[in-house]
Amino acid sequence: MALPPRNFSSIGPREGTRFPEVVLPDQHGTVVDLHAARRGRRALVVFYRSADW
Amino acid sequence: MELQQVLSRLESTGIALFAVSYDPVATLKAFAGKHDIAYSLLSDEGSHVIRRLGLINERVQEDHAVYGIKPDPRHTNLPYPGVFVLDESGVIVRKRFHESYRERDGGVTLLAQTMGIEDEAPGPVTRAPGDPARVVAWLSSPAYSFFQRLQLNIEIQLAPGLRVHTPPAPSGIVPVTVRVSEIPGVEVGPIEWAPVRAGFLRGSLPLTFAAAPGGGDLTLRVTVAYQARSESACLPPSSDEIDLFIKEIAMVDRTLPPRPPV
Repeated sequence: MALPPRNFSSIGPREGTRFPEVVLPDQHGTVVDLHAARRGRRALVVFYRSADW
Repeated sequence: MELQQVLSRLESTGIALFAVSYDPVATLKAFAGKHDIAYSLLSDEGSHVIRRLGLINERVQEDHAVYGIKPDPRHTNLPYPGVFVLDESGVIVRKRFHESYRERDGGVTLLAQTMGIEDEAPGPVTRAPGDPARVVAWLSSPAYSFFQRLQLNIEIQLAPGLRVHTPPAPSGIVPVTVRVSEIPGVEVGPIEWAPVRAGFLRGSLPLTFAAAPGGGDLTLRVTVAYQARSESACLPPSSDEIDLFIKEIAMVDRTLPPRPPV
């Protein structure tokens, strides 16, 4: 029943490259520039399916 | 939300956290309020950023067909679940993506693995008594939820001058093996051993809780067999048993709601 394995290292931007510019509204409706909001800190950027379900 | 559990740890280590989904702002606002979330939930309504970054899971519908799940409009434009780790200059130093949301790392596991933060045994720790070697086992989380993946960590602590061997061991030596009691719906992955260090051997293996929700609290019996030796002598082979208790988290926010009427 299991699907064949996929190469997940090929998903999205590559390691060693700068994370793309991302500007999106947050839960307060405030527009967030991800790199600016890091303020020089390391960061985790998590992608998940939905907060709703 | 499991990420919330590790937020305080993130803040103390000076790491910013952003969670991106295709939910509208209003949904995120409600979610953040309900779960007391302080970090940034970013709204990528329409999945434009998710698409630009190449993270759309085009095969999710196909997966669902395989798993017998009916098509649902909410299942389009979903990202693969995963995480990017950025350094201070914004460069991606690590990324981890998964087959689908059906296998999600627990937040603690994700952090420990991606950031290389040493896990301070957030789950129950149990020791098998032993001298001059003893075995410690702990889980990356004290609880599991449906289709969550946790790590089972094993450490063999050794008196000075002793060592153990992972397979393949020299002839005549019992290699270190780890066996987890069979529990329906719990999938046990292969163990990976860290490079041997003086005084201890540490390894971990993934446990995927794949049974239907309602499996209840579980006790995992872990059996670790090994044989310690010094330069000049072999100790008798040992086999230690450790019971690890793990709670089930109810799936309050993770059940699929009924589809809207057509």
